[in-house]
Amino acid sequence: MQVVLFLSVFLIAACGLVYELIAGTLASYLLGDSVLQFSTVIGSYLFAMGIGSWMSRYLTRGLVARFISIELMVGLVGGFSSTLLFFGFAWGRGFHLQLYGVVIAIGVLVGLEIPLLMRILKGRFEFRDLVAHVLTFDYLGALGASLLFPLFLVPRLGLVRSALAFGIVNAVVALWSTFLFRERLRRPGALRVMSGAVLALLGIAFAGANRITAAAEDNLYADEVIFARDTHYQRIVLTRWKDDLRLFLSSHLQFSSRDEYRYHEALVHPGLAALPDARRVLVLGGGDGLAVREILRYPNIARVTLVDLDPEMTRLFSTHPALKQLNGGSLTNPRVRIINADAFPWLERTAEMFDFVVVDFPDPTNYSLGKLYTTVFYRMLARHLTPGALVVVQSTSPMFARQSYWCIVKTMELCGFSVYPYHAYVPSFGEWGYALGALGPYRPPATLPAGLRFLNTATLAAMFDFPRDMARVDAEPNRLNNQVLVRYYDEEWNRIAR
Amino acid sequence: MEPDRAVSGGRRVTRREAVAAGLMGLARRTERPVAGGFVNDSAGLGHRLRSRGPFRAPGRKARVPVVIVGAGMAGLCAAWQLERRGFRDFVILELEPQPGGVSRWGENEITAYPWGAHYVPVPGAGSKLIRELLADLGLLADGKWNERHLCFSPQERLYLHGRWQEGLEPAIGATARDREQFGRFYERVREARATGRFRIPMAEGETSSPLDRISMAEWMARERFDSPYLNWYIDYCCRDDYGALACDTSAWAGLHYFAAREPEEKGPLTWPEGNGWIARRLAARFHGRLRLDSPVYRIAPAGHRRTVLTETTEYTADAVIFAAPTFLAPYIVEDAPPTGDFEYSPWLTANLTLERQPKGEPAAWDNVVYGSPALGYVVATHQSLASVEERTVWTFYWALAHGPASRNRKMLLDSDWAFWRDAILDDLARVHPDIRDCVSRIDVFRIGHAMSRPAVGSVFSGQRKRAAALEGSLLFANSDLSGFSIIEEAQYRGVTAADRALRRLGGR
Repeated sequence: MQVVLFLSVFLIAACGLVYELIAGTLASYLLGDSVLQFSTVIGSYLFAMGIGSWMSRYLTRGLVARFISIELMVGLVGGFSSTLLFFGFAWGRGFHLQLYGVVIAIGVLVGLEIPLLMRILKGRFEFRDLVAHVLTFDYLGALGASLLFPLFLVPRLGLVRSALAFGIVNAVVALWSTFLFRERLRRPGALRVMSGAVLALLGIAFAGANRITAAAEDNLYADEVIFARDTHYQRIVLTRWKDDLRLFLSSHLQFSSRDEYRYHEALVHPGLAALPDARRVLVLGGGDGLAVREILRYPNIARVTLVDLDPEMTRLFSTHPALKQLNGGSLTNPRVRIINADAFPWLERTAEMFDFVVVDFPDPTNYSLGKLYTTVFYRMLARHLTPGALVVVQSTSPMFARQSYWCIVKTMELCGFSVYPYHAYVPSFGEWGYALGALGPYRPPATLPAGLRFLNTATLAAMFDFPRDMARVDAEPNRLNNQVLVRYYDEEWNRIAR
Repeated sequence: MEPDRAVSGGRRVTRREAVAAGLMGLARRTERPVAGGFVNDSAGLGHRLRSRGPFRAPGRKARVPVVIVGAGMAGLCAAWQLERRGFRDFVILELEPQPGGVSRWGENEITAYPWGAHYVPVPGAGSKLIRELLADLGLLADGKWNERHLCFSPQERLYLHGRWQEGLEPAIGATARDREQFGRFYERVREARATGRFRIPMAEGETSSPLDRISMAEWMARERFDSPYLNWYIDYCCRDDYGALACDTSAWAGLHYFAAREPEEKGPLTWPEGNGWIARRLAARFHGRLRLDSPVYRIAPAGHRRTVLTETTEYTADAVIFAAPTFLAPYIVEDAPPTGDFEYSPWLTANLTLERQPKGEPAAWDNVVYGSPALGYVVATHQSLASVEERTVWTFYWALAHGPASRNRKMLLDSDWAFWRDAILDDLARVHPDIRDCVSRIDVFRIGHAMSRPAVGSVFSGQRKRAAALEGSLLFANSDLSGFSIIEEAQYRGVTAADRALRRLGGR
């Protein structure tokens, strides 16, 4: 009996401290300035505990039932505190108010606990023993929690689940108190049902905690999320702010509708406008249909084959009204054929030949993507080109990843391409690079299709000029057995994004 | 390639555990049941050969100028040489249902995978013979290696002090002393290479050496190499290449591994099915002359010729190329030379089917764990061009090098599949805690006499030299004549035997 009582004190104390730490940590994570956040959270929490202790004098009857209800309330408010605060932050307004509201609510409730418990127990112990024991276990609980929190809870459970786990502990203390003090309760049954309900609620939330975190993260994108889906290959997120649509694949920005025309016009026209007789075009990657939109400006193009890994991507960009408007319905155009396949093995299997190829893969951030920038890949590509055909490769930024850019150029050259490097400025990406490869002769086009928003022939000519800070540097060619490009890329972008 | 038996195992989860897991979200999720069993078991047949019977008498007779016994790499290369010189009148007799020997392979719905040898080091410009074979297979053209089959990057990684590093030479936490000793070791290797005594094929180098009389571990001690990292690395190399600890390996062989090669390109050459890629291409050329499931149980002299007995046919041949492991000769060949010096290492390979990749960094081709008694695993889908690869097959290699080979052979035969399943998963769980959630099948191949072991004093033994020098109607060809099993030696011995067979047939 005695042991269980003091264990309760220990657990209550631990819970109280954990909620305080969670609030402090969350505030530092989300608002920064951890000294300020921790000081103010601890201060208001202790102050609220004082209010709770003071209020306890007004509770006179049915102390045990009150104590149990307070435990359940602490369990609920504390248990859901981090969930509430995550969502509160994501939804934007009045986060400070919510933060201190939650902190003060928990503080008041926790402040009530110990005085009430001491009064419940006062008949059983000498007063000096009671004070000594209760406070000893109170402080022991605080020590336990403060060690557990940084070493186990945060790394293993995370903030959302830690809070829920300690909410469960509060509810368990409530439940066993209904048994410990059953002779002093008039309706223990009702309290047990309530405890059970609180336990179930917290338990369900704990089991579904991953979804809670994911839902809260969605709201961390700066703009309104209008579409989000986990596909087999990536997480597709589409956001909108006024007229700006942005696509994120696995949280990497793919385009902003405000300047994507710069990127896609520069990708397609320097090559394709120089091929008045081109009929068959291959697009690798580019499931957003934006490069295809540019290609379809040419009446001479009879067939566009788009190979993209993710069927969800091409489906989304074929059906979503806002996206269809953006790509001009390019993916449902009868001249376009969509193939959902892994590009490299597809290229190895197919016998088709093309007059123009757009290679629009994600940047070589890992070895899997790095394979798509190797000598073996470009040689295989060369075997699918008709005489006079051209290839354009999106080649990351010659400004931020200079050696990576020139590594791609060098690799293509090694595979027999004459490479014509060029670049364009895309505000949401920065200075961006392309590599145009030709097996035969190439001359920049003298005319461009009508209706472009970025390119004219004068701009086009200037794109082939590289200022000093982006000029050619030496690089190893990227091969399957060295994957130097991934190393260059990693090194260079790490230098930019500290 | 049907497994002998498929045993379903895996830990069962009680209802209480399942409830607790749901409530707490903490407990480990249900583990997958793992299927699998022993595959390619031929210990029974081997022991029947060694106990001389019982075998059926053949019903047919055939006269074939050259009979090759064994369709491992040596036998296939003997046939390759005969064909290359325009001679097509031969048969290859193989006791297994599949050619390849230790280069055999398997295949499932995900990928092909190796059961043994799984790569060829890129040969230097001086290794003419192996270059001719590889060029013939389309791997080398105009002095350029086919990049499709050079091992993709990242090639190798080592798990050390709780994380993966690139390359197998331990680097994490290496001291200046470790680095100095690695540097000095490679200095010794360069000197050894410069002497020209360490060659591939080894027969082109020296014919005896005091280095063969001490162990690699002793040599390391004499050279005052005491870095734990260097010693682990050398011991790992000896286990990986010879199936023996550094203290059981001839120092000459230990150095040969490093000093005999000078690759001209970052390699090695590798394929999903390992060296089975080579074996299946060579075997396809000899279709019709390659008899599988045909154990040879007797070879006897018959005048100038020899008779070769299988259960269906009695062959009479002018020359018999014995390309099977040489230690089998006394049980089959009537007038076999003594082979007591030939030692072999017992091995275990296992192919693990993974339904998903374990969490953490993506695997390299070869993945090794520092301090593990096993050799690590190789990813069969590593040479795939696909950018997304969820399911895969890992080939787990384990040379049973610790302790006497005979005891390890007995353990191989006596332990059941569940024992090996648990041993393999336990070893992998140290670096992949979620491995049991990924693996759906483990097939285990036990090889009692896998690779020739270059034990101390055995590389230049008189028995080996005499068996290798035989001319006449019986010619030996296995790589074990060289003391160690590498593809270049198998090819060299096969080609040499083929040349001698042709010489015997009439001065070609």
